[in-house]
Amino acid sequence: MKREWILDKNHLSYWLRQLRNQMQLIAPMRDQVGDIVFKQVEHIHKIELNCPSLLPSVKEFFLPQYERLFEYSKKDDRVVDSISKTKRVIFGLRSCDVAALNTLDRFFIDEMPDPYYKSRRENSLLISIVCNNPDPTCFCIGLDTGPYLKQGFDIQLTDLGDRYFVQAESEWAISIIKNYHFLFSRPQKSDYDDQYEVLLSSKARFQKRISLQQSRQLIKSGRIKDSFWQGITSRCFECGGCVYQCPLCTCFTVVDRSYNDTVERARLWDSCLFKGFTRLAGGILPNEERIKRTKRWFFHKLIHYPDVLESFGCVGCGRCTVTCPGRIDMASVCMKLKSIALNGEEITDEG
Amino acid sequence: MDKILTVCPYCGCGCGLYLHVEDDRIVGVSPCINHPVNRGSLCVKGWNCYEFVHHPDRLKFPMIRKRGTLVRATWDEALDLIARRLTEIKRLYGSDSIGLLSSAKCTNEENYLMMKFARAVVGTNNIDHCARLCHSSTVGGLAAAFGSGAMTNSINEIINARVLFVIGSNTTEQHPMIAMHMLDAVDSGATLIVADPRKTQLAEFAHIHLQHRPGSDVALLMGLMNIIVTEGLVDIDFVKRRTENFDSFLDTLRTFDPAKVEAITGVKIQLLRRVARIYAMEKRSMLFYAMGITQHITGVDNVRALANLVMLTGHIGLPMSGINPLRGQNNVQGACDMGALPNVFSGYQTVTDPRARKKFQNTWRKKLNPKPGLTLMEMMDMAYVGRLKALYVMGENPLLSDPDLGHLEKAMERIDFVVVQDIFPNETMNYADVVLPAASFAEKDGTYTNTERRVQLLQRAISPPGEAKADWEIIVDLATRMGYRMHYRGTYEIMEEIALLTPSYGGILHHRLKEGFGLQWPCPTQDHPGTPYLHRKKFAKGLGTFITVDYIPPDEPPDKEYPFLLTTGRIYFHYHTGTMCRRTVVLEREEPECFVEINPEDADSLGIKNGWPVKVTSRRGSIEVKAKLTGKIPQGTVFIPFHYAEAAVNRLTNPAVDPKAKIPEYKVCAVRIEPLYKMPVVKTPKPPEVELESLRIEE
Amino acid sequence: MKVKNREPAKQENNIYRPIKGTIERIKKQTSDVSLFTLELEEPVHYKAGQFFMVSVWGAGEVPISVTSLARKSTRIEFCIRRVGMVTGRIHQLKEGDNLWIRGPYGRAFPLELAKGRDVVIVAGGIGIAPLRPLIETFMKRKKYKVSLLYGSRSPDDIVYLDETRKWKQQGVNVVLTVDRPTDGWKGNVGLVTTLWHLAEVDFKKSVAFICGPEVMIRAAMQDLFFFGMPEERIITTLEAHMKCGVGKCGHCYAGKLYICKDGPVFSYKEIKEQSILNLGF
Repeated sequence: MKREWILDKNHLSYWLRQLRNQMQLIAPMRDQVGDIVFKQVEHIHKIELNCPSLLPSVKEFFLPQYERLFEYSKKDDRVVDSISKTKRVIFGLRSCDVAALNTLDRFFIDEMPDPYYKSRRENSLLISIVCNNPDPTCFCIGLDTGPYLKQGFDIQLTDLGDRYFVQAESEWAISIIKNYHFLFSRPQKSDYDDQYEVLLSSKARFQKRISLQQSRQLIKSGRIKDSFWQGITSRCFECGGCVYQCPLCTCFTVVDRSYNDTVERARLWDSCLFKGFTRLAGGILPNEERIKRTKRWFFHKLIHYPDVLESFGCVGCGRCTVTCPGRIDMASVCMKLKSIALNGEEITDEG
Repeated sequence: MDKILTVCPYCGCGCGLYLHVEDDRIVGVSPCINHPVNRGSLCVKGWNCYEFVHHPDRLKFPMIRKRGTLVRATWDEALDLIARRLTEIKRLYGSDSIGLLSSAKCTNEENYLMMKFARAVVGTNNIDHCARLCHSSTVGGLAAAFGSGAMTNSINEIINARVLFVIGSNTTEQHPMIAMHMLDAVDSGATLIVADPRKTQLAEFAHIHLQHRPGSDVALLMGLMNIIVTEGLVDIDFVKRRTENFDSFLDTLRTFDPAKVEAITGVKIQLLRRVARIYAMEKRSMLFYAMGITQHITGVDNVRALANLVMLTGHIGLPMSGINPLRGQNNVQGACDMGALPNVFSGYQTVTDPRARKKFQNTWRKKLNPKPGLTLMEMMDMAYVGRLKALYVMGENPLLSDPDLGHLEKAMERIDFVVVQDIFPNETMNYADVVLPAASFAEKDGTYTNTERRVQLLQRAISPPGEAKADWEIIVDLATRMGYRMHYRGTYEIMEEIALLTPSYGGILHHRLKEGFGLQWPCPTQDHPGTPYLHRKKFAKGLGTFITVDYIPPDEPPDKEYPFLLTTGRIYFHYHTGTMCRRTVVLEREEPECFVEINPEDADSLGIKNGWPVKVTSRRGSIEVKAKLTGKIPQGTVFIPFHYAEAAVNRLTNPAVDPKAKIPEYKVCAVRIEPLYKMPVVKTPKPPEVELESLRIEE
Repeated sequence: MKVKNREPAKQENNIYRPIKGTIERIKKQTSDVSLFTLELEEPVHYKAGQFFMVSVWGAGEVPISVTSLARKSTRIEFCIRRVGMVTGRIHQLKEGDNLWIRGPYGRAFPLELAKGRDVVIVAGGIGIAPLRPLIETFMKRKKYKVSLLYGSRSPDDIVYLDETRKWKQQGVNVVLTVDRPTDGWKGNVGLVTTLWHLAEVDFKKSVAFICGPEVMIRAAMQDLFFFGMPEERIITTLEAHMKCGVGKCGHCYAGKLYICKDGPVFSYKEIKEQSILNLGF
């Protein structure tokens, strides 16, 4: 089965229009103030194909910030679960997000499948685009989560100027391309060369090189003392932004809302950076000191994620770099750790 | 899923954010990346601002009090009743027996209409709003000195400043996105000076932290200016060319020699000198202040002292150089601009000025009252003596936010007819005769003006719950029922009328705001790009005026009987009277109960441990709260947040007001503290002595 | 791993969906603790040490450990203390009202460790609840020597007072102690960790099950380890804030373990190795 095609750029909008007839089409759109947001597409020609920067995560389409789980009817004493079955095609997301979703699949589906996530995931087709031009904040290159994926995508497009190099992996994706076979052609030798050229030049454009592995080893070696984390933490605004923006942060809380005739049980994003997150019965706060919470976040991503899910809890998307008002983020913390490693400097409790 | 760009409904930063809407419900929030204030960040309240919108407690139907309880009514019944009663009271007792409270949470359009309703329909100038309680001293103080009371710089200038002097503002918690810019500036080499009795998070980053005694701000500032003068750091050119009245000011200034200031403030002379030199010698010096300056009986004097300081050093009228009051509410700047104040029309045109009055009379086609009205606190005093007969409250909760609640409750009982228009049930509603359900920020459009004078467009994302209506629609309907026809197709038409009557908003129209992140007033004409910083080349009133101020100690200093100085304020996770944030799961969980911050050494001497319940008593009342021991607060001072209705700190606060701005002294009153829980003394039989080592089993 | 099946999923079991139970009986234990006996719509199979997410619609869900003898049954018992909003609402319910539950979740107590060994059970306050089925199992099987050290705040706060009498008759070495004695209390006073000499067992050859407040758990574990009990035989069950019970919500995440799904039963060895941060071990 051939899994690689060429799509003429002129045919893209026709193809997307056809897909939109069957499914909800989500794509990055630029609004009047220059921001790019993923939303339902009204005008296909307004899709932002060459996002230069700062694309938001697509996590919210799989784990929405606020999601109703059940509706309980007081009158009939009955419970109805509200699992979304909306069919969606998400166009224009980046490799890091696809990689993040693959890790989330392991977390949400492998053991004790979460039906809400699973249904949203199964009903969504991902058409990702290889990053030709990574942001200054990106560092996926050291993590195998970008700028392109070797596997684990549905459909991956590589921009070759006048045409797209199309790769499809999942059966659903292949069948969708075959439905529109007249739009796609066989790739030639030159196409492969061009594609390789794009991948190579994209790799060369990264401004940040971060080794999470190095940070992990440094933390595990025990050389990093609490005074280091105290310094990192002192500027935390406790906004939760890093968690909300992170494509791999999944913590949620559950709330019951009692309306006149019904009760809604919903889950909404929560963050381990809040002290009340681990509040015990009777108001005891095991993580009242901010430093414990900062450590918890970084340790989860750097130490425990790889132990449990075999990949880092970070895909190098750099969104925490953009959103953190205190300028605390994975990249800058790893850079600081790196300088410790390079200088061989012993960080002691005295500072 | 659609994403709608709008403005955060919490603080005065005015951050841009997207509401994610699916099936007429908000399912999420994300920050706006290009917005000049928040640049892709949000604080915890911003990230969670969507949640209260769908809360079950939302008011959905109008209600009328019948035999003591509020029962559901139709809009016609409710509005007809209000129209009838207000007309009746106006006829029997005169227009000035009616008071109206507008809201710093409502849009500019709504505040303008409320102002028009009060002046043209009811015929009174008795209109005020909660700015009275936060920045009325700024409006008065800066207007007298410069002719305009607002932040003189823009938020995105902060990053390039060289010196940041922050006094009386807990910026990281109360204006997090402004603090973000400040810390960025520190990263790029700016010097940060913080003056605050508490050791705030921002103070941790300060190069110099002045921990002066609460209420000694005038002395501190006069001391700094004294040093600036004696060390010859005055910008003499600036003082000569652009200010007046310097000489008479100098006479008073001479009395504040550093030794005297040290005695009053508790700040070392050496530190005073360093701050004075750093602040005066750098040209790109920005000054920031907030409630720590304004909420005193000397609030106006504090502001005047700050104004004098910037004029003395010439730090005004340039980018990255100015005086910046940080406004609290999302639209408190706008509500003031719109003239929801007893003495001015929109754009601070005074009601006593016949020319301004004539302009408004011609447009509104109604004869207007030339006598300035009552302020919020004065309305309550009039109500107490039975001379205020009706009160219309739009989007405010005075029964938690105003000082000395005991007095206020009695006053409210004596008002014949109370209308409350809000999105959630609140404490004030217990006294309401009619309750009207309003639309929240996500359910209406209009404009908000943030603290840097940026007028931004609010976009409607979803429809209101039940029969709730936008505040402006309610006012339009009510005015028409009272015989004054108002008709607007949308909020953009109201904005047109505002632009017509308000010079500083002259060029601000909705279609212009849509193109970017709003416009900063003054923006007098339709092709004007807005004004990022004020007082360029000349002050709004011409010459800046030095106003002589003198140090007056707080109204109620601690004494033997009430040995602690109580200061009040907000905390990061909550917002004002809590109607919104306390209905947000994450925010409420973080700080579910009221507390009193107390220095560990003070606590020790009182026998109080962390987390213990204590009773805090002032001359006016007492509340029970949990003790929270922290070294952030100096000895002899305690801090209580005012968000909690169940332990309302405003039962304790002193209603003494600044004589000019009528702002109450929230920041200083005297209290005593008693532990409610004593370590139980039980006669315990001695537990059996066990020699643990003897139990150890050898391998 | 890829999601293989891209066809719409069939209606599967929703792990968050609770089943309905009717309260058959409420037995007041102390001023703030009651024993709730439920009759469920469908049978559940549970073991000692596991817990259920118990909810009242409109108030929310809380994790409660099962306190009845392990079995597959439509009957289940929960011993609930009134501490927060949800448990407060549960305490307002009357016999015949509904409680919704889902579970069981978590690991059960490793009973096999007790084979051929003496058993020390250390409980503090409401911590006796998950240990009750354990004691009953040991009593039913008859071949175990069991010592129960049980500390409460005051004599009025002793949960399962009747049961402790019954267990004593059945041969359990019951040691009760209180922090604040009232008039007429003749028993022990002080922390359970001061009463090891009353356990009358060879710690080195026995197994311990501990449940109670965090400080008590920590002290008891350290003491027992000090007495020579192997760390893998010191078993405890931990409390944590949790919202889902199935390792998704992240609240109970500690070390690399989720207390809900990898616990709540842990040995001292696991706690030390995984450095369950919240507890400060």
